[in-house]
Amino acid sequence: MMEDTTQVLFTELPVPLLSTAALLRHHHHSPRFQPYQRLHQPQHFHTPVQDLRTYHRLHEEDYQDDYDRGKTHISCLYPEILAIIFSYLDVRDKGRVAQVCTSWRDAAYHKSVWRGVEAKLHLRRPNPSLFTSLVKRGIKKVQVLSLRRSLRDVIQGIPNLESLNLSGCYNVCDVGIYQAFIQEVPSLTHLNLSLCKQVTDNSFSKITQYLKNLEVLELGGCCNVTNTGLALIAWGLKKLKKLNLRSCWHVSDVGIGHLALGNQSLEFLGLQDCQRLSDEALKHVTGLTSLTAINLSFCVSITDSGLKHLAKMTNLKELNLRSCDNISDIGMAYLAEGGSTISCLDVSFCDKIGDQALVHISQGLFSLRSLSLSACQISDEGLSKVASALHELETLNIGQCSRVTDKGLQTIADALTRLKCIDLYGCTKITTVGLERIMKLPQLSVLNLGLWHVR
Amino acid sequence: MPQIKLQSSDGETFAVDVEIAKCSVTIKTMLEDLGMDEEEEEVVPLPNVNSAILKKVIQWATYHKDDPPPPEDDENKEKRTDDISSWDADFLKVDQGTLFELILAANYLDIKGLLDVTCKTVANMIKGKAPEEIRKTFNIKNDFTASEEEQVRKENEWCEEK
Repeated sequence: MMEDTTQVLFTELPVPLLSTAALLRHHHHSPRFQPYQRLHQPQHFHTPVQDLRTYHRLHEEDYQDDYDRGKTHISCLYPEILAIIFSYLDVRDKGRVAQVCTSWRDAAYHKSVWRGVEAKLHLRRPNPSLFTSLVKRGIKKVQVLSLRRSLRDVIQGIPNLESLNLSGCYNVCDVGIYQAFIQEVPSLTHLNLSLCKQVTDNSFSKITQYLKNLEVLELGGCCNVTNTGLALIAWGLKKLKKLNLRSCWHVSDVGIGHLALGNQSLEFLGLQDCQRLSDEALKHVTGLTSLTAINLSFCVSITDSGLKHLAKMTNLKELNLRSCDNISDIGMAYLAEGGSTISCLDVSFCDKIGDQALVHISQGLFSLRSLSLSACQISDEGLSKVASALHELETLNIGQCSRVTDKGLQTIADALTRLKCIDLYGCTKITTVGLERIMKLPQLSVLNLGLWHVR
Repeated sequence: MPQIKLQSSDGETFAVDVEIAKCSVTIKTMLEDLGMDEEEEEVVPLPNVNSAILKKVIQWATYHKDDPPPPEDDENKEKRTDDISSWDADFLKVDQGTLFELILAANYLDIKGLLDVTCKTVANMIKGKAPEEIRKTFNIKNDFTASEEEQVRKENEWCEEK
């Protein structure tokens, strides 16, 4: 059908008009419209020796493929076009096309092909040309999967390194860090040392001295880091935006006080499972005026009063209080009354959160778009408060709330028309009647039921 | 609707709606820079595109004339190749030679949408194949010396990592 339409448009003109000749002449003087002057002759951008060899190769092929003569071979595609094609491949296939022939290797090593790629490396046997080839490809992110050679090889081999992920490299130690960082590495903005359990505060004297431009520092599970390390971080890493201290058990309120004095750019602070932290730490946190998100899950020593401090933080948008055993309904009252403008709140597995918390939330936290209440002691009554007040809500997680019934779901379905995601896993009192109501929500894209597949 | 005439490398001329022809940035720029008057019987010579390919290109552009402009490439977004429309997939059921010539034409005429979809098609022909299978698929000769091949293999071993 479509083909017919286009056929109609094809009209042949027997003789080119005079003006065409003028245009053609103009055309010859203007390479702009003819980016590749010698069509079907691949352009090369490397050494003459290679050019000669490639030329030979093409010549041979022309001979070999007699049967295919007149057909355009893939070698007619310019390196720039091959690079576009290769940019659509995943990392494994990118590596494979580089091994096809010399001209494909050269095209595959274009920087555009590897944009944003993180090289995942086992550093074992010596591999002298590896780093040179990574630099040539413009790769600036490295994840070390295992390390049996010096970390220094990576730092020196890739001078423009932007991101270094050593997550889980258990044998990274202070000595390795000392040897690796012997001069400033201004390009490095992301450093992940998660689960590098041998790293102690000593490492931070080098890190803070030479990695002044760090924006993201992941220290989850670095259980030897203490308040001293945080003092160094506060002193040296002024550009830090994201700091994760998950399970750094030695860190206490004093350490957070250090951060508050030094890291004014901090936007995310991960304190999950830092069990020594008390409400005093939250008082210090208010000094981090740029903070938009904080993770306090499993911080069991934090109480309702601590939330009074957080309520005052005008930039804070995300608050994670999962499994904070001492957070109760009253804490939610403090947040709401304190004028908190958070848009994302997670109080899942807080046993002391019940319907009264939802009353408080619905009387003040009007900016909420995401609310997680999994396994909280809530019922249909509490949900009706949420449904009546939080019309902006897009995500509602109430999995394992075993008191919620179809009635609660109906209230939600009637009022929360902007809901996109809902988790109802393990809500044992709900039936298909309630689910059918939920599934009629116009924006709904995620409905999690865990193991129950009701279809 | 005003039309212009496009002349292929082998001298064939095609009358095309100006709006359709302008999905080629090369033609659009040519018309603007040269101030070509759409009313006159001008012929735009396209010395890099033969009539068979030009015909295909016009067919593609006609079908896609009302498409929104393709989005700018986003560095952080993973590039997909599984989003080729069924019309395009049918349109590109052609031999390799024609496919490569369409790519060259799309590149020369600067038609981003056509270049994207043809390059994706070639990428899909490459995906999941070992180097030797790729050589067979496209009839490419392995011109590495033994030491070059070993070096390039070592430089790309890490790419197989999950």
